[in-house]
Amino acid sequence: MWNELLYAFQEVATLPNFLAMFAGIWGGVIIGAIPGMTGTMAVTLALPFTFYLSPVTSILLLVALYKGSTYGGSISAILIKTPGTASAACTVLDGYPLARAGKGGKALNMALISSCIGDFISNISLFFLAIPLATFALRVGPPEFFMLMAFSLTIVASISGRSLVLGIISACLGLLLATVGEDMYGSFRFALSEDMKSGLGMVPVLIGLFALPELIKMIVFRPEDNAAAMKLGDNRLTLAEFRGSIKSICRGSIIGVILGAIPGIGPSTAAFFSYSEARRTSKNGDKFGEGELEGIAASESANNGACGATMIPLLALGVPGDVITGVMLGAFMIHGLTPGPLLFQNNLGDVYALFIGILFSSVFLFVAGKATAGAFTKISRIPQTLLLPCILILCVYGIYSIGASPFDVTVLLVMGVVGFAMMLLNIPAAPFLIAFILGPMFEDNMRRSLAISRGDLGVFFQSWISWGFFALTVLFVILTIRREWKKWRDNRDATNASAS
Amino acid sequence: MNQNRDFYAGLVATVFFAVILFVLIPIYVKVPSFIPGFAPPPDMWPRVVAVIGLVMGVLALVLAFPKMREASRDRVEGFGTRILGNKTHLMRFAGILIVFVAFVYGMPLIGFVPATVLLLGVLFIMTGNFERKFWMIGLAVIFPVLLYLLFTEVTHTPFPKGKLLSANISHLTTLI
Repeated sequence: MWNELLYAFQEVATLPNFLAMFAGIWGGVIIGAIPGMTGTMAVTLALPFTFYLSPVTSILLLVALYKGSTYGGSISAILIKTPGTASAACTVLDGYPLARAGKGGKALNMALISSCIGDFISNISLFFLAIPLATFALRVGPPEFFMLMAFSLTIVASISGRSLVLGIISACLGLLLATVGEDMYGSFRFALSEDMKSGLGMVPVLIGLFALPELIKMIVFRPEDNAAAMKLGDNRLTLAEFRGSIKSICRGSIIGVILGAIPGIGPSTAAFFSYSEARRTSKNGDKFGEGELEGIAASESANNGACGATMIPLLALGVPGDVITGVMLGAFMIHGLTPGPLLFQNNLGDVYALFIGILFSSVFLFVAGKATAGAFTKISRIPQTLLLPCILILCVYGIYSIGASPFDVTVLLVMGVVGFAMMLLNIPAAPFLIAFILGPMFEDNMRRSLAISRGDLGVFFQSWISWGFFALTVLFVILTIRREWKKWRDNRDATNASAS
Repeated sequence: MNQNRDFYAGLVATVFFAVILFVLIPIYVKVPSFIPGFAPPPDMWPRVVAVIGLVMGVLALVLAFPKMREASRDRVEGFGTRILGNKTHLMRFAGILIVFVAFVYGMPLIGFVPATVLLLGVLFIMTGNFERKFWMIGLAVIFPVLLYLLFTEVTHTPFPKGKLLSANISHLTTLI
């Protein structure tokens, strides 16, 4: 084994491999930072170039692009309240308030460090746990998925802010909009026009909901400070701040690895799950959503933690977990390699070379992130009156480029107006976001499970994984009801006292 | 009684989810005559969500009443009351809606790049801050063109050229 590892190290440590990783990470960071341009787009665009590269170099280039774009999404999420990728949507919640408070650089540094740690833990687990994790992932079927999604949706209770009722209303709106289009059996729902038959795109909805309301608010109310740039305060991340978030980073990375290894889940869900867990357990949980560094650490460590882990089912079983790993499967095939158990027998040298290269890419991610963070922080110096309209135009181009569809641009603008209306009515946007992302998975797995069991609800309680998530869901619902009851009683007592 | 934000939010949610439940689902969610296996029909989930939303909307309304009775002491002035109480704000909001609608309908006619140049220019004007006029003019023209070049070169996105422009060019070609 050691001989093979040494040989693999020699195979990786070449100039073309380092150049490919460096270019991939840089390209990924820049593409991820542009709203509307996704990691999938980056990997797909790079696929034709892999024809001219060696198998290991090709895969390293694609993996680097994926990792870079996942981190890059956090840059625009923090600085301009526009998640560059769906997996960075959670980072907006705490990143943007920090940037507004003049701590954009601090937030970017936290995002970078958590991303790198998440990425590194993910790579290590890919190295040592690929086969056991892949076997576990295969045991997760639709009923287990359903229970996992049910548990994830309970986060709505903790991100609703002032009013749980308004939070649930927001989540219901997200769940409803997620049903627009064709369902799993080919029935059309809420297809008010021909374009709506294919549903509402995730990226236009998310970007519209977060980025546009700020612009509309600025135009309608014209606050006095709208010509001013954001303050630039102390951008260094202190050791105490890092220590305060280390638990969330480690937990987020592990969540990312486990959820990333399950085909079909991906970095977005991992980020939300990790964020909700950090909020539930942190002593600063109340400050989440108002600019808490731990919130950024939780979501960023999980989404990058999921990146390497999505390779686990691909390499160990030959099963692509998402679109990006699907494209990577294509790259393997182009070079005559077939991912799966046989890959470990026939091409062990290439597998080790890949693992070592992926480990190197964490270092490249840190270097590229550090180098770009300073430049991107300068965005904060642009006055809002110039910046916000330009962001809208950037979003319009980015969204149009996804599917060359004017309908997506319309969705973006409509969601901006909806987001502004929600802001006026004090309906929180975060529950909408999580419901819109998790809703389709929740519904599909529920219907699939019931179809498999011929309508028997017992299907949801047949494995210990389902039972575990069910118990956690019930526990959290009970705790939420207790908390809300106590809050209502305290308010009533305070009102009675002031009346008397 | 003062109407607070929760009252408006509850009212809007109640009306919205009632329309979804009683009007849109019966018309726009068709249940097929045959569903494989014992899977729940496609309207089951939207109905469940709409019912929960409707109940929460009514609950928000009910919970808002005690607060409204407490006269102005507990009144929290939010953006809703601010925007409804100020005609200028309403006009500006209506202006944004008109600009967005004009962009959506005008873009296929005049082309993507001219439409985005106009949109950016109008948005700059609507911000009401003219301290950096030259930056605004320059950005309104250069920024959309740069983005157009970036996206056409990198992602090969086919942006609409505009029916009016295409028609004129083809007309000119025919004449020549």
